[in-house]
Amino acid sequence: MTKIVERQEIRTILDRVGSADIVVGIPSFNNARTIGHVVRAVQAGLAKYFPGHKAVLVNSDGGSRDGTMDVVRSTRIEDQAAILVHHRIDPVPVIATPYEGIPGKGSAFRAVFEISDALNAKACAVVDSDLRSITPEWVELLLKPVLREEADFVAPLYHRHKFDGTITNSIVYPLTRALYGRRVRQPIGGDFGFSGKLARFYLAKDVWGTDVARFGIDIWMTTTAVANGFTVSQSFLGAKIHDTKDPGADLSAMLYQVVNATFGLMETYPEVWKKAQGSEPVRTYGFQYAVGLEHVNVNVERMLGIFREGLRNLREIWIAVLGQGDFGEVEALGNTGDEAFHFPRGLWSRIIYDYALAYHQRRLPAEHLIKSLTPLYLGRTASFVLEMRDADQSGAEEEIERLCEEFEKNKEYLLNNWK
Amino acid sequence: MIMQDFLTLVLEPFREVFAGFKRFAPNMLAMLTILIGGLVFARIVRALLRKALTALSFDAWSDRMGFTVMMRKGDLWTKPAEAVVRVVFWFLVIFTIMIGLSALKVHAVNTLVAQFFLYLPRVLSAVLILVIGYVAAGFLSRTVLIALVNNGYHYAKVLAEAVRLLLIVLILAMALEQLQVAPNIVVAAFSIIFGGIVIALAIAFGAGGIEAARRIIEKGAAEKSEGKDDIQHL
Repeated sequence: MTKIVERQEIRTILDRVGSADIVVGIPSFNNARTIGHVVRAVQAGLAKYFPGHKAVLVNSDGGSRDGTMDVVRSTRIEDQAAILVHHRIDPVPVIATPYEGIPGKGSAFRAVFEISDALNAKACAVVDSDLRSITPEWVELLLKPVLREEADFVAPLYHRHKFDGTITNSIVYPLTRALYGRRVRQPIGGDFGFSGKLARFYLAKDVWGTDVARFGIDIWMTTTAVANGFTVSQSFLGAKIHDTKDPGADLSAMLYQVVNATFGLMETYPEVWKKAQGSEPVRTYGFQYAVGLEHVNVNVERMLGIFREGLRNLREIWIAVLGQGDFGEVEALGNTGDEAFHFPRGLWSRIIYDYALAYHQRRLPAEHLIKSLTPLYLGRTASFVLEMRDADQSGAEEEIERLCEEFEKNKEYLLNNWK
Repeated sequence: MIMQDFLTLVLEPFREVFAGFKRFAPNMLAMLTILIGGLVFARIVRALLRKALTALSFDAWSDRMGFTVMMRKGDLWTKPAEAVVRVVFWFLVIFTIMIGLSALKVHAVNTLVAQFFLYLPRVLSAVLILVIGYVAAGFLSRTVLIALVNNGYHYAKVLAEAVRLLLIVLILAMALEQLQVAPNIVVAAFSIIFGGIVIALAIAFGAGGIEAARRIIEKGAAEKSEGKDDIQHL
């Protein structure tokens, strides 16, 4: 695979810059509308919090046709006084370039890792190109723990609506916490800080021709850092507001991407997660505050309808994956009315472990297996929404904590059946 | 003299038969040697194949692929690995018999043996079509089933089974066509069955599904105007 640093135009810029303390990467694809704000926030953050550090901004682009890279190259902070910067700011060198390799966020990040390695950067950060809520403080919160050598990896911690991020809340966070023993609250947040050493470690891995390059990069970065003994922390960034993803985006495709990557990493690090017992909190930076969030409409009736269709039509698959015992409990749920519907935490944790085992044993093609989880996931989500409709954010967070404890308690079931 | 002539007349047929036997005996011996050798070889292959399929968990794989279910439906109650072992064993035996018969160098037998070996590639490609086709039909049917369920369609299983049925009919027609079993009849029968299934589905969903379609459209419009789903799963 061609390296981006071997391209002549990139080589010229790298030779001119020489070295850098900080590299901030922004992957993009047709984000001309939103990337300007992100670039200004990053420039302001670097100016305010790292004036004495040499920084480079990298826009790793997937072949945009709306002038995204031109926006990046031409964006400047117009009014320094407004952001309370009174010292002279040197413009941050910008490298805006298409990346090499399979189309996907992972390939975009790989370009950032390569440039960071070439510049011998001490600290790096990556942020999404469609963020509306990014502030200059995000830059400080993602980079300072790394520059102070207190952390190799900084995950984001957002304040989200209690009904948002349900794949994270009901699957990825409880599962990765139980497996690897670290409480990284948002392992697939997408905005990370990491050391130059960790960037080189990532680069050395032979994953750039796999699904990691396409869509599994977030969970891969977090899990790789945790599983390989790097110091992991998280920073409170406030609300994450970004462009709404296409409402027609297929939920089962999203579920497949995330869960497939998570299960795939279990195959890579069995000796790590088999040993981990319980879980420990990770150091959290940032001043935590309440954020006003917009109301989220949830169509519980539709979710329960799909759950019941799954029960009717995917019976054979679910019995093969879950076994008669757990399937019997799921079947009993199908007879419950909407208002009384309650999907027990213990059952849900066993279902996820059953799916992980079925994935490991290749009982079905991976895509069929994980997509068949969709109706069960919607049933669990509907149950959570019904139970938490009158609860506040902290009440919902307590429920998620109880779910995580259930995952940790039932880990033995996974260990006993993993062969 | 008369006695001598009589003895000659009596012994001559025996001499001719014996001479014929002497000419034929090496061929017979070759055939028997080939048969015995072939049987021994077939038994060795059977034992090795049985061990190999057990080591590869062939029975578990067959369960997952649905071959076991297919066998049970066909009233075959042996384990899939054992069935494969038996098929290979008897194939080798028949193969050995054919080679052995050709050693006799009898014209009619040689013609039969030649036709057998000419037909063999068709049998192998028909078996391949059936196996690959069955697996592909199951895969596509399951893909359709899961996609429709995840989108909330009530008749997901019916549609998925219809897809499987159509593909099975296609695969059977292709296999029979390979075997050159009444090809014109097979093509005609396939066209009738396939076309009939498609028309039946069209009528069922067109005429019979009018009410269901209306409910789906009304439900979709109602969902758009109220109860919109804002949840961000990721």
